[in-house]
Amino acid sequence: MKKIGIIIAREFNERVRKKSFIITTILMPLLMLGLMAAPSLMMLFATGDQKTLLVIDESGAVAQKLESNDEVVFTPFAGSLDEARANEEVFGVLWIGRDVVATPSQVRLYTNSSSSLTLEESIAAQIEDVVESERLKMYNIEGLEDIMNNLQTSVSMSTYRNDLSAEGEDEEATSSMVAYLLGLVLGMMLYMFLIIYGSMVMTSVIEEKGSRVLDVLVSSVSPFQLMMGKILGIASVAVTQVAIWGVLICGLGATVLPALMPTDVMQTMEAIEAGQMTALEADMDADMLSALSMATDIPQLVMMFVWLLLFLVGGFLFYSAMFAAVGSSVDSIQDASQLQTPITMPIILALILAMSVFNDPNSSLAFWGSVIPLTSPVVMMARIPFGIPTWQIVLSLILLYISVVGMAWAAGKIYRVGIFMHGKKPSYKELWQWLKQ
Amino acid sequence: MDLLKIENITKRYSAHTALDDVSLSVPRGSIYGLLGPNGAGKTTLIRVINRITLPDAGRVIFDGHEITDQDIYQIGYLPEERGLYKKMKVGEQAIFFAQLKGLSRREAIARLKEWFVRMGIESWWNRKVEDLSKGMAQKVQFITTVLHEPKLLIFDEPFSGFDPINANILKQEILRLRDKGATVIFSTHNMSSVEEICDHITLINKSRNILSGSVEEVRRRFGENVFEVTYSGQADTFEQAMQPVAEMLSSSAVADSPYTCSRIRIKDTASVRDSITVANEAVELRSFREVIPSMNDIFIRAVEGTL
Repeated sequence: MKKIGIIIAREFNERVRKKSFIITTILMPLLMLGLMAAPSLMMLFATGDQKTLLVIDESGAVAQKLESNDEVVFTPFAGSLDEARANEEVFGVLWIGRDVVATPSQVRLYTNSSSSLTLEESIAAQIEDVVESERLKMYNIEGLEDIMNNLQTSVSMSTYRNDLSAEGEDEEATSSMVAYLLGLVLGMMLYMFLIIYGSMVMTSVIEEKGSRVLDVLVSSVSPFQLMMGKILGIASVAVTQVAIWGVLICGLGATVLPALMPTDVMQTMEAIEAGQMTALEADMDADMLSALSMATDIPQLVMMFVWLLLFLVGGFLFYSAMFAAVGSSVDSIQDASQLQTPITMPIILALILAMSVFNDPNSSLAFWGSVIPLTSPVVMMARIPFGIPTWQIVLSLILLYISVVGMAWAAGKIYRVGIFMHGKKPSYKELWQWLKQ
Repeated sequence: MDLLKIENITKRYSAHTALDDVSLSVPRGSIYGLLGPNGAGKTTLIRVINRITLPDAGRVIFDGHEITDQDIYQIGYLPEERGLYKKMKVGEQAIFFAQLKGLSRREAIARLKEWFVRMGIESWWNRKVEDLSKGMAQKVQFITTVLHEPKLLIFDEPFSGFDPINANILKQEILRLRDKGATVIFSTHNMSSVEEICDHITLINKSRNILSGSVEEVRRRFGENVFEVTYSGQADTFEQAMQPVAEMLSSSAVADSPYTCSRIRIKDTASVRDSITVANEAVELRSFREVIPSMNDIFIRAVEGTL
């Protein structure tokens, strides 16, 4: 065991000290958070100077109802259009025709510089509202304002899981959209880790074999110890990377994100979390809220990372044993490409399955895909955000780790023979014979 | 007493037999040559001793008991195909290999510093292996092999890739290790180095041990009763006089001297003593000595089956 430890330490130190590792580990979460925070940052910085618009309202019905906001200030103007257009100090002129209620096309915007789509849309929307209410008034309906206020609504659906709130907890709102995105990210992450770190094991074995370091090493350690040392060493690099990401994301989620969000959003969210308000009352987008509450709900994030790590390690051990066996049996990376096809195929299949999981996380396809070890790491990680029964996750983990042992044993047998074979690339049949030796 | 005994080792692979009932004993404190043509089974035998591969039949007795995994700490092996991690620094790499052989980190560093100074390579400590020349890397590898002061050292072609000066340094180090009590197994094709430093040899051919013994004994066994005689006098006279006891093989004058040197093969019917008496009466003898075949000749004759 001590020897495995020495080998693990070497693998770990060699890789973690590399510049490329340090850079990707630190930059990745910053990049992700940057993407997440980009919209709010853009809002913060995009609201630059207010634009002043001179309003010439020939109908007399619209101008006083236009509301100035952060972006635009409406200033009534009594002169003629030409006079107004001659004024180059304002952003532009909004001209509203006499019969605008009957003919809504009688609206023109003259600007001294380029205007923006959002600005135009917000002005048009305001005028539309005015025109709409003016038209409504013509019907002479009693208590119109109350009726209007009562009519105004936006549907914000909250989904509740009966099975999840059965334990007397507060009802927990879930969002399929958030689960979908999270599942996508987690599934992709597993997929990438298996491929990237798996082929790292393979490349490293081929290098050791090619440089004949293996011949020296096997006089001190058994081939199996050597293989496991390498796999575990690289696994610990992967775990370190994910753990750093986890800490960074949790930490930033707890500190930076709330600071970036507008305070009223945060207060509403806290109220919802405290059970004082439901998302319905809050009159906010349910997806947005559950995304926010997930990003700031540390225990849930931690749990997610624990599952992620367990499946990452299990899946990595399972696949990297195969990668190691292939690496041991060839002399060059070129030779390896054909032999590794049967390994990469199931990983790609798992990703395809994971995509179909999003349509129905509880289909039998999704269930079996997330329980059978070949595809389970990727598919299960894609399913977990949808909130599935814990026994399924545990079953999947148990099966995965049992197959890890079997796979390590089989790969060890191939490895033991393969590392001394030089020259011809072995066929699948030969690999099978090594396995049986 | 023997440090290592190989008893009836057989190792079969699916297509061929690599070792067929091979036995040999390596005396403690000796330098033991393991000879044989390429593909004879030497590397397999070394791997069996190192417990890299397990034999199908037979036993390896190390230091009086059947060999176990713990014993490989007492073995240092320098394989023919040298290998170091190219991207790793020399010092760290040497520490890594030393730790695998059971040394503590501190002990490894202390011993390494000493060895690096002795080999004159202390300035390489922080250099990467890929920056070293082949010969330099060989030196580092040699140190990592012997650093844990094992009882048994196995060198596979240790001198390949070395210039004569460094080869000589290496030879002195090997002899020094032997004097400090190590036993050395030496696998090589270089017969002159066998004659220079080996005490005992085993010749393996086609998976079998075809010849074992001390170097002197083997060479004598292959002696063919050929003697070299130096004398002052006529070659013809000498040949005529010797005819009843020996057959003349060749004759030549020794340059810048009045002497002649002849090779003769003494007939089975005659003794060496008679031959000397005859020769002594015919000419004035300067020397009369047996010609012992070189290990090179023995190797070729043994492998070609003309024993």
